Order: sequence, then structure tokens, then C-alpha cells
Amino acid sequence: MFNFPSEVFRVSYGDLCYMKHNLVQTLVSTLVGPLLYLLAFGYGMKAGDTEYIAYVIPGIVAISSMNSGFSSSSQKIVIQRLFHSSFDELVLCPMHTSSVIFGKCMLGIIRGLAGGIIILGLGMILTPDLFVDYRFILALLMSSVMFSLLGVSAGLLANSTPTLSLFNSIIILPMSFMCGTLFDVSSLPEIVSYIVWALPLSHTTSVLRDAASGSAVDPVSVIMIIVYAAIFYAICYIVIRKKLY
Amino acid sequence: MDNIISAQGLAKSFGSLKAVDDLTLYVRKGEIYGFLGPNGAGKTTTIRMLTTMDPPDSGSVAIDGFDTRKDFIEARRRIGVIQQHHSLDKDLTVKENIYHHALMQNIPFKECKSRVEEIIPLMELQERMNTKAEKLSGGWKKRVAIVCSLIHRPEILFMDEPTTGLDTQSRNALWKLIRSINRTGTTVFLTTHYIFEAESLCDRVGIINKGKLIVEGTPQELRSRIGDYALVVTDPAGEESVSYHSDLPAARKAAQEAPGDCVISIRPSNLEDVFLELTGRKIRCSTSRPRCSGSPTAICVI
Repeated sequence: MFNFPSEVFRVSYGDLCYMKHNLVQTLVSTLVGPLLYLLAFGYGMKAGDTEYIAYVIPGIVAISSMNSGFSSSSQKIVIQRLFHSSFDELVLCPMHTSSVIFGKCMLGIIRGLAGGIIILGLGMILTPDLFVDYRFILALLMSSVMFSLLGVSAGLLANSTPTLSLFNSIIILPMSFMCGTLFDVSSLPEIVSYIVWALPLSHTTSVLRDAASGSAVDPVSVIMIIVYAAIFYAICYIVIRKKLY
Repeated sequence: MDNIISAQGLAKSFGSLKAVDDLTLYVRKGEIYGFLGPNGAGKTTTIRMLTTMDPPDSGSVAIDGFDTRKDFIEARRRIGVIQQHHSLDKDLTVKENIYHHALMQNIPFKECKSRVEEIIPLMELQERMNTKAEKLSGGWKKRVAIVCSLIHRPEILFMDEPTTGLDTQSRNALWKLIRSINRTGTTVFLTTHYIFEAESLCDRVGIINKGKLIVEGTPQELRSRIGDYALVVTDPAGEESVSYHSDLPAARKAAQEAPGDCVISIRPSNLEDVFLELTGRKIRCSTSRPRCSGSPTAICVI
């Protein structure tokens, strides 16, 4: 049995060094978007309604984990593949494919977790209706891992930076607004609500919101997150082993 | 002698272009093997298949007996690769790049530091350890890439056009280093389109053209195939014709029969001649040898 955690760390060492060099920029870019959402929707639209802030904060945490997880993983891989040619070095090393995939996810996972926890901490100051337990952290971790895996697969498949931007515009951005993060999707037309339900962010939002409000977590959403993570992992595995990138 | 690289029937196509076509080659343990060919001949595609970076469409590769499809991890443990284009992470320092490579080669954490300290003086990198890779010149990047590829003490070092883009001083230093690496028992497989590099550095040379290995042997064996001396006859219109002869007296005798208004020169044949004779194409003009500037009817022996 190979030492999976050790291999994951070895693969992610370069990305962790990069994060160390750019810690301030990384944190600022992680937080600016979620803070703007909080300001615009929590205060601009609802004038500081604490009940709505308690509702919207888990949604913003879900958006933050998605954006951080996806963009960190996908951008770094596209740069390493297309501009630095250093992704080939990873493929050349005697590492298991799973270690390479999760190693490349690490930066996204750390950013997703850090961003989510900071936003939640801020939310807990603003409203007393939020609390954190192990379920919330677990849900945040699952969300960050799933979207980092999506980022790795997009980074491996994109043949140019415009392709990656297009993916961002047609998949990530619509999900940010449509998946029950900032408003209740029950008001949407029935057909649209089915489509929204099938998207991964709907399930991470649902699980995070349940956990942050102390309600029972919907097991279907947990299963959906695991299924999505498995699909994204499989895409990464096939692409790396078949060298389709 | 044992073969450390065995490639059989390799083929790779990109759309309708056959980049490598039924290529079989064997590299012996401890030798410097040069893979010579013009641009677009299939050198890089071949090296990518040999180093597990690209799977062949058909055929097989074994590195030290390990099949690169089934036992790719064992095969990768035994190889170091210096790619044609620098593959360093430009956002990281030299030190971080080297450590990252050491870690990715599964070198135990405790051993990484001693390995790095052992290898950096060889390339005189001590002063640049904290410099970001993006700020290094081409020559220094090449040095870092070499350190990265040697950190796990590979049995085979693959180098894809290692001296392309280097000045003469850096190139000579790199040749010296390649020889010293080889003396420690490391097999070296390098691709090049520089004739002089292949002739002076390699124990054996394989010449590739249009994806096919057309000939293989020691530089001397290959030259002897066509004749050790080349007689070049240039007519007043500047048209050159070349004939090959087994020795100098034979070449001189043939020169006497050339028309009187031609420029004639006799020189030792080289791998460019071998390639030209076998394919009718030139690999690349080598500027490493002096050119004949003889007067009409003079026989110039270089």
C-alpha cells in the first residue's frame, strides 16, 4: 500500500510554496467576492436583516468554496500545462495518479476551507442564528474537495485560457446565482428548479445551510456531492492516464 | 552488453501525420546514445514515448526490463528527463524547484537536504538558490533542470536537444558535465540536430528521418558505411557534388579527374554526409567545422 498522504503532500509542495509567496494576494482574492455578496445582498437588499443574513451566509460560503476550489486548481494546472510545461514533470514522476489528482486539489481545498471559515466567522459576529459544528466543517471540506476536483478536470481539459474562462462563464457563474445560495429557488419555474436541483452547488448549499442552522442534513444531498466528486475524480484519472490533455 | 532501453515497433500518429513509424531501438547500459535527425523527424515524439510522457499507438518500451505501460512507476524511478523547453515552475525559487523534484521522486524527507547539498556545487548554483526561476537566463535554467533530473540518481538520463539555445561556453560546459555523468555509470540518451555534438559526444548514434530509424552505429561505423573521406566538387555555377572514398589516396585520385574549372575540397566525411547519402536531405548546416575557401582547381584537404 502506498503512502497516500505523503505522496499528496509531495505533489502539492510546489503549490503550497506558491501560496506561501502570495499569501496576502491569495487571501484577498478569496475574500473579496464573498464579502461583496454579503454587503450587496445582506445589507444592500435586506438592510441588515439578521434572519436573511443567517440564511445567505451558508450560500455565500458555498459560493466561496466553489470559486476558490475551482479557480485555484484549474488556473494553476492550465498555466503549468500550457505555459510552464511543468505539468509533464508531475506525470513523469513515480507517483500514483490519485496522488497527483489530490495533490493538485490541495491549493483549492485550503483556499476553499480558509475562505469559508472566515466568512462564517464574520457571519457569526453579524447574526446569532448561525453556529458551527463538525458537520459544517465536514460539509465545507466535501464542497471544497468536489469543486477542486472539478477545477482539476477543467484545467486538464482546457486547451487555452479563453476555454477556461468560457467554462467559468457558462457553468460556474450561473451556479453562483441559481443554486439557492442567495434566494429560495422554490419561486423559480418548475422546470428550472429541476435543472437547478441537478447542479452540484445546490447540494453543497443545502448541506451547509442545514449544518449552519442546526437542522438535520439531507442525506440525498450528501450522496449527490459524493457522486459528483467521484465523477470529477474519474474524469481526472482518465485524462491523466490516457494523456488526453 | 545489457540493453537498458528496449523499444520495439513504436508508432505514433497525430491525425494523418505519422510522427514515428515502426521504430525499434536498443540502448546499452552505460553508453551515450545520440538520436540525430532534422527538425520534425520524430525525435521529441520518440523521447516522449520512451519516457512514459506519451503512450505509443502501437509497440512497446521497456526501461531496465520494466514495461512502460504496465510498470510505469518502476520505469519512471529509473529515468531523469531534461525536456527541450524548460519545465521549471517559474513562480518558485531554484531551491523550491529542486526540493519539489526531490519530493516528487519519493526521496525520503530526511535525505532531500543532503542530496541537494551534494548536487548543487556540480552546477555552481549555490549563489542562485533563492532566485526565482523566471529570472534565470536560459543557461542557468538548463543547469537547474539538470539538477532536478539528477536528484534521484537515475540510471538513464534523457535529454531532448540539451544544447539548443546555449552559447558555446555553456554548451562545452554541458558536454563536459554529460561526460562526467556518464562516467558515473548513468546511461545518457540525447536527441540533437547538431552533427558535431552527436559525433564528439556519443558512443552510438541512431539517425531518424520521417519517423523511421534509418541507420544506427558508432559515428565511425556510420562514416565508414559511405567512405571516410568526402570529395566535394563545386562547379563555376556554385553547384556542389559530393562523392565518398574509403581513404585519402582514393579521394585524391578522384579529385584529379574533376573538371579543371571547379573548386575541389577533400574532407573527412561526417554524419551529415551519412544522412545526406541515405535520404537525399540535409539535417542542418553545421557551423562547427571550418569551410574550404580554396582557389579554382586547388585541392583543399581539411
